[in-house]
Amino acid sequence: MLYLQPQNLLVQKTLTEALEANARGTPLILDRIISDFDYTTLHISNSPEEKALLWISIKTKAWLSISKCGPDLVGYLNTKYDDLAGVSTCQPEGGYDYTLQVDLKALQNDAVVQLSLLKVMTMSYPFQLAFNEFASLAQLPEGSNTTETVHKIEYRDDENVFIKPSNDRITVIFETFFQDETDKVFGKVFLQEFVDSRKRNRAIQSAPQVLFSHEPPLEISKLVSSRVSEKSRRFITFVLFPRHFQTPELQFSSICHLALFRNYFHYHIKCSKAYMHSRMRYRVDTFIKVLNRAKLDENEDGSEETTRRTVTGRKMVY
Amino acid sequence: MSYLNNPAIVMDNGTGLTKLGFAGNDSPSWVFPTAIATAQPSTTKKSSSGLGATQSQTGGSAYFGNSTSATSFNNLTSSALLSNNLAGKRGTEDLDFYIGNEALIASQSSSYSLSYPIRHGQVENWDHMERFWENSIFKYLRTEPEDHYFLLTEPPLNPPENREQVAEIFFESFNCAGLYIAVQAVLALAASWTSSKVTDRSLTGTVIDSGDGVTHVIPVAEGYVIGSAIKNIPIAGRDITLFIQSLLRERGEADTSLRTAERIKQEYCYVCSDIVKEFNKFDRDPQKFAQFIVENSEKTKKKVVDVGYERFLAPEIFFNPEIASSDFLTPLPTVVDHTIQACPIDVRKGLYNNVVLSGGSTMFKDFGRRLQRDLKSIVNNRIAQSELLSGTKSTGVDVQVISHRRQRNAVWFGGSLLAQTAEFKSYCHTKKDYDEYGPEIVRNFSLFNMI
Amino acid sequence: MSQSLRPYLTAVRHSLQAALNLSNFSSQVVERHNRPEVEVPNASAELLLQPMHISRNEHEQVLIEPSVNSVRVSIKVKQADEIEQILVHKFTRFLEQRAESFYVLRRVAIPGFSISFLITNMHTETMNTEKLVDFIIEFMEEVDKEISEMKLFLNARARFVAEAYLGEFVY
Repeated sequence: MLYLQPQNLLVQKTLTEALEANARGTPLILDRIISDFDYTTLHISNSPEEKALLWISIKTKAWLSISKCGPDLVGYLNTKYDDLAGVSTCQPEGGYDYTLQVDLKALQNDAVVQLSLLKVMTMSYPFQLAFNEFASLAQLPEGSNTTETVHKIEYRDDENVFIKPSNDRITVIFETFFQDETDKVFGKVFLQEFVDSRKRNRAIQSAPQVLFSHEPPLEISKLVSSRVSEKSRRFITFVLFPRHFQTPELQFSSICHLALFRNYFHYHIKCSKAYMHSRMRYRVDTFIKVLNRAKLDENEDGSEETTRRTVTGRKMVY
Repeated sequence: MSYLNNPAIVMDNGTGLTKLGFAGNDSPSWVFPTAIATAQPSTTKKSSSGLGATQSQTGGSAYFGNSTSATSFNNLTSSALLSNNLAGKRGTEDLDFYIGNEALIASQSSSYSLSYPIRHGQVENWDHMERFWENSIFKYLRTEPEDHYFLLTEPPLNPPENREQVAEIFFESFNCAGLYIAVQAVLALAASWTSSKVTDRSLTGTVIDSGDGVTHVIPVAEGYVIGSAIKNIPIAGRDITLFIQSLLRERGEADTSLRTAERIKQEYCYVCSDIVKEFNKFDRDPQKFAQFIVENSEKTKKKVVDVGYERFLAPEIFFNPEIASSDFLTPLPTVVDHTIQACPIDVRKGLYNNVVLSGGSTMFKDFGRRLQRDLKSIVNNRIAQSELLSGTKSTGVDVQVISHRRQRNAVWFGGSLLAQTAEFKSYCHTKKDYDEYGPEIVRNFSLFNMI
Repeated sequence: MSQSLRPYLTAVRHSLQAALNLSNFSSQVVERHNRPEVEVPNASAELLLQPMHISRNEHEQVLIEPSVNSVRVSIKVKQADEIEQILVHKFTRFLEQRAESFYVLRRVAIPGFSISFLITNMHTETMNTEKLVDFIIEFMEEVDKEISEMKLFLNARARFVAEAYLGEFVY
């Protein structure tokens, strides 16, 4: 597997199963917790009154910071989901941030994929705001078209995403932090390649520019200066140009990839460690083979072996 | 830390099936074969088109297993996008593989080869297992292992070196937050707490774990497996299926495929109390004979298969093995009795008192009841004899076989139960512990207290 | 193979051949004990021989500590940068974890070295000494090779992953 998919496979599977079971007339009794990256938990359960109604709730660490980015996150999500047949919004379930009610009788198969994208949809809100701000800034005359707005998503304990719109680009800055020593070193190699590969490979020249630094970039220096800038902190900047978000489809696909950047990157660090383990296992085997060659033939010393015994028959120990 | 709220992940990797899911759920989120299809080095490039076709075909209802292609990766490697041929040439084969049901599909094309990394409950191929886990975690469970605690299972008598290897993979490759490795039999005992018959939640009991390949009888005393007394029976799910198939063949039924036999086993079989009576009942009452309709894939032709005596005869091979096998002749209740008799005398009562069933092949109707009756008669005979010889009155031994609703995935469910408790995390070894002490810390795990 | 590696390995080979001249020797201190004398604090000078230190440069060194019934060979593997350092660490740890099947591998390296072997008279009696030396030499060659290959792999993989990711943004 090279890419991580934006949709949640398990949500997709659960809903499809529920749909099929409902079509057969034997609705499933569901009360499932499903997890997603970055401290996101989804909960799929039957509504207490009606078996054919499902509740899908989401709880994510980033919720609080995302809802601070703009005026109406819930409204934004509602517009995304209200159009789907059989999906309606309702009061958030206790302990969760947002809840959708799904009527299995009216739900279409295509809507299942949309529902499994719930987490990405939530993450997309600040991006969408930035796209809109970019559009309005680009209209303004030269000189007055700058803004101080920076959207901040606190999606993990020590890691944040900053999104800064301006009049000709949108800058997305990931602040990352490695807990593990090995990861830190591996991460450095990977990040360096992210920066270099665009320069080296002509085919991906049109990809966003990537920058990498230990110090907070100027755009966000005000926001992070309050904290002690640790040594293991890294900042990765993606510079999106208008060509990356011209149409809503492009916008969405850019958001999907950016929202999964950290996961993708950590996933591959783990894959390379797994691969190295395979290599090392192979090495160990070959070394043992070489070492076993050194062993003398069993029969050879078996015939000569004479264990010395004491009078009572005990083995002599030197 | 905020992973306090994240559910723990429970993974039960068995010889045949892997169960994956989150603690707190009542059933595993994913159940698929422990199989991995790896790319054959030479023909990787050719495969993309063939596989894509099989997958689009299986869309829709095939979500059950694995849906959507794992990668559009083959296309990408060969595409001109990556002019850098270094990437295409070396070191990316290890990303090109499928697990579970997708592996079964992928292996139909010649460019992938299928293998089962677990043999007889123990991991044989660590390279494959590591990748199997990698894909389970990132693709199917969609979790960042750094944020979650893991509960894994192991068979009884698993060598501690294997545990260390598991720890090495989970802590070094995946940086998982914490790890607990539990013995399957102990988890099966914990799962039985959901049964209404269980009054005290003890971890003493005899576990009968019957999967597809082999049946184990495992005595557990206060959470510790009594390794010396474990007995294996070479009769399990697959043997029953094969037995049904042979009966169907003998009769010359229209469809005698293994799949049909398996469906019959799952849908029609039950355990009777007395074979002779049951034969008579069948002869008197033709209603008892069932018919099984085989639909082929296009749903055009239907074949009808009669289901007869095999309804009760097939599960009977647990109790009278001589009807199916010629080399193993000890009935299950006798094996259970021998197992318990091989244990220290002070735990035997507890073991008789709490015989717990686990695994798909114990799901037959009345299996527990029959086992209880047979076991009880063995025990009562022995007591009567000893009373006769010693002339004293025995206080009696209570035999109780527990079956419950979660039997099929009992091990996973037990894991889910334990991993959702608040104390679970304090029993785990954390990444920090591992970094400080090294892999040998996983040789010991403290036992769960009874909740 | 670079110019100085051959003489370095030859020096190690000859020193090892000289050192691997072991005999069964019971402990002088504890009755019925027989232990590798290099590993125990030893007061009697006649049991320990002069350690040999072979150094190619400051990163690549071998320390051979012979004694009457055992030899301890410690190797410092080349670690040019941070990546190699972590890879060597990972690799040696992986090997030490499997020391059981390596017979002569010491579970913990001597401070200042990457990996240590402990060869006792038991080993020289059941194994061909010449081949044992071959093993150590081959090990030294292979480890260097493996580390640099892994480093190359890491770079190649990182590049591949980065290009694949950025390629997704090419519309």
